[in-house]
Amino acid sequence: MNPNEIIKLKTGHRRMRGALAIFLAVLMIYGLRLVQLQALDAPQLAAAAAEKRTRTLILPAQRGEITDRKGAPLAITVDARNITVDQTMVQDPAGTANAIAQITGADATLLQADLTGDKKFKYVLKKITPEQWTAINQLKLPGIFSEKTSTRIYPSNSLAASTIGFVGGEDRGMAGLEFGFEKELAGSSGEVTVEISAAGRSLPSGVASQVTPQPGIGIRLTIDRDLQFVAEQALAQKVEYAQADSGTLVAISPKTGKILALVTYPTFDSNNPQDAIATTINNHALVDAYEPGSTAKVITMAGLLNEGVANPATKFTVPPVIKRNGKTFHDHDPHGVLQLTLTGILAKSSNIGTIQASELMGAEKFNEYLLKFGVGQETGMHFPGESNGRLASLEKWSGTSFPTFAFGQGYMVSAVQIASMYATIANDGVRVNPSLIEGYVLPDGKFQAATESLKTEVIRPEVAQTLREMMETVVSDEGTAPLAAIPGYRVAGKTGTSQVVDQNCKCYGNIVIASFIGMAPAEDPEIVVAVALHNPKNGRWGGLLAGPVFKEVAQYALQQGNIPPSTGKPMGYPVKW
Amino acid sequence: MTTQRMDNSYNRGRRVQDSFFIGYDWILVGSGFLLSSIGAALVYSASKQKLFDAGISTDYYLQRHLFNIIVGVVLALIVSRFSFRIARAYAIIIYGVAVFGLMVVLIPGVGKSQGGAQAWLALPGGFTFQPSEFTKVALITLLAMVLAEKRDQELIPHDKDVFFGLALAGIPALLVLLQNDFGTVMIIGATLLTVLVVSGTKMRWVIGSISTVILAGYIASKLNFVKDYQLKRLATFFDPNLDPLGSGYNSLQARIAIGSGGWFGKGYLNGPQTQGKYVPAQRTDFIFTVSGEEFGFLGSIIIILLFSIMLYRLTKIALNAPDKFGRLTAAGVAGWFAIQTFENIGMNLGIMPVTGVPLPFVSYGGSSMFVSWMALGLAVAIGREIDDRITPSNR
Repeated sequence: MNPNEIIKLKTGHRRMRGALAIFLAVLMIYGLRLVQLQALDAPQLAAAAAEKRTRTLILPAQRGEITDRKGAPLAITVDARNITVDQTMVQDPAGTANAIAQITGADATLLQADLTGDKKFKYVLKKITPEQWTAINQLKLPGIFSEKTSTRIYPSNSLAASTIGFVGGEDRGMAGLEFGFEKELAGSSGEVTVEISAAGRSLPSGVASQVTPQPGIGIRLTIDRDLQFVAEQALAQKVEYAQADSGTLVAISPKTGKILALVTYPTFDSNNPQDAIATTINNHALVDAYEPGSTAKVITMAGLLNEGVANPATKFTVPPVIKRNGKTFHDHDPHGVLQLTLTGILAKSSNIGTIQASELMGAEKFNEYLLKFGVGQETGMHFPGESNGRLASLEKWSGTSFPTFAFGQGYMVSAVQIASMYATIANDGVRVNPSLIEGYVLPDGKFQAATESLKTEVIRPEVAQTLREMMETVVSDEGTAPLAAIPGYRVAGKTGTSQVVDQNCKCYGNIVIASFIGMAPAEDPEIVVAVALHNPKNGRWGGLLAGPVFKEVAQYALQQGNIPPSTGKPMGYPVKW
Repeated sequence: MTTQRMDNSYNRGRRVQDSFFIGYDWILVGSGFLLSSIGAALVYSASKQKLFDAGISTDYYLQRHLFNIIVGVVLALIVSRFSFRIARAYAIIIYGVAVFGLMVVLIPGVGKSQGGAQAWLALPGGFTFQPSEFTKVALITLLAMVLAEKRDQELIPHDKDVFFGLALAGIPALLVLLQNDFGTVMIIGATLLTVLVVSGTKMRWVIGSISTVILAGYIASKLNFVKDYQLKRLATFFDPNLDPLGSGYNSLQARIAIGSGGWFGKGYLNGPQTQGKYVPAQRTDFIFTVSGEEFGFLGSIIIILLFSIMLYRLTKIALNAPDKFGRLTAAGVAGWFAIQTFENIGMNLGIMPVTGVPLPFVSYGGSSMFVSWMALGLAVAIGREIDDRITPSNR
């Protein structure tokens, strides 16, 4: 072996030793890097790790139930499940999608798209029933998981929907009482801080802290589900028959102010608010105000009787037209000179006669009675978006205000307000603020009655009774609403065919609100029902359209309440002289 | 003489225990055993929670992993029983089988894809095999054979042989590149470079082949050979916060897991990041993070020390090998283990770009386990034939 070759061999060995030195040096650097990561940077990295791992989860509180006055459920919250997926674990997206679709009825193609991909966490279906989840879970589909949630259900669908309202995506009240009582119903959610895995599941050992959720308070309404149902059927049928735009119905127990039925039609299904026509969501009986028209003539009468300036038999000579401050007022039917009593003016619903009579007490006194009956005042119900009506203050009245207001035009009330005015007359002159809430069911199951409604005396009891007797003539054959009569019971009431201001010309156009508000039994009323149909095109008169609806609903309420038939007879005040 | 000293130091580690195992390098074998045992423990910890969540027996992967280790050890034992010179005789056939396997894997429908690379062949019983792992051994023996071919007396490889060897090595490298397995190509390239350097070839070949690889890489990226995700991985290597939930996610999560382990770790089966499955590919490419989090610095430095011992022993075998083929083969195995370990642990520590490369002896995966143990067996076989009386300079 020549020396040259030995040098070359040594080259190979030198390089090999060099390589070993490099290998060991690299591993030493790695050791140093370990020291850097695990000793020097460890606190920051550990903190970063903890931050990535802990997550605060909201523990939803059970939402309170809404029931009718007897406890029948109107809005309840039941357990549900959300299906989630770890897409990386799904082996057969098409098969998995088909299996889930078969159980839930969801669209398999959409499901398959949700199951395909590389996301570790994604919602697939929300709010399926626990039974459906049990069925899916039994299939042991890889990558399919669920989380507990709850869903709001309205067992009676559209019943009282505009009053109850509905909830949005996270069971948050969006309309109606669901919205108005959101705080009470929702309760307060708890939270739990847990350590979770990358896939979003909590680690077995990792509950760090917990706040238990406080369930919401249940609300018992004054609504009677059965009466509500009857009222909805009756009103719906009449709105369709009359080809009206809409209708409202308010049934009140006059002695308590409790609203037993509150109907707006057309309506919607609280379970599917997304399908609702926007205008049907609002509770028009509470949020809309309209000019009450003839139905409000009873307030004028109440003022006159209570002031003692007129009695049911007071005689008036009613001309064909009457002129006040340059404006000519008419009655709905042209007539010659009529000789009517105060009772006759109410029975015939004469605008001219009412103007004449009202002048016996004057504008100032009349204004007092409007306020006492609650026109333009809060009802105290605090329903979301509720209207207080509108009444100009006395000093702003124009020369034609008093005569116009006297027969119920020119100021505005909500359907509930006018029903409450009649309830005042029905309750012997004592106004009880209307209410929708019977009481609250606390989380521990105890019932707590709502605070009693405010009571104020508006007219004297005997005046209220006299007024009711006058109103009985309206339902007689001589009056405007014979169809509102209920066999066996004395009925007092008043029709209205009020004109609606046409927004185009700012004048009274052809559009009317046909209404009837009545009470029974007239001698000691147990029920007041206010019915109004907006813009009927088949028929026009309140007595003809709204009267029969009143009859149906009031009759049901009387039977339901086992109210004995009337025994006495009305005084029978003369209408003419 | 230095070589003499070295020889003695080598023999100090060789404990002759009985006639069957005479000449076995127990330190080398022991380091492999320990690494595989630690690996088994880590694989169980890394896969337990995932299997539990999926409703499968939590030792599913552990059982398969133990089976892989046993097969690997048996293969190593068989290889170590034969003279390493048989590998020289069959180097061309081994090479042919490897190239054939690499071609079969590319046939659509035959090869299986995982993690972006079409590198697996399905075997009966739910097992898979990765021809590219096998290629590593095949190329080492081939290049060693070519560079030592018939010219043992010349000591320095002939230029023609170097060219021939590199050309032959280029074919499987290209096939692996076609599988989109960029990491394995880099490992193969670096391993061959080690063989080349150690063969004593002229530096111009070394520099030339490095330049060729860089040029080829550049052209590949220009021709869209390199996939977008591979470029992205490289970009996020330089700044992991670039895309913390995408390409940089692995690297960032790995460092968080290792860092949160501290000096002594969170305890076995107790690492929140590991059990929470935050680090992807935990039982394969990122298994080192499990030891980092659960065994802390102490456990991780032990793994690094075991690899240091293994590389040291392999280099000793290479330095004292009875012939040039043996020397180059042992050096190739050392270079391969070293580079693959550097890449894998390096990416776990966030100081190397992320590529799909397993940690030898430790990561879950049959092919890597079998081939690593076979290579170890080959090195043991070379070590067995070192004649104490002959120093390298006598040959």
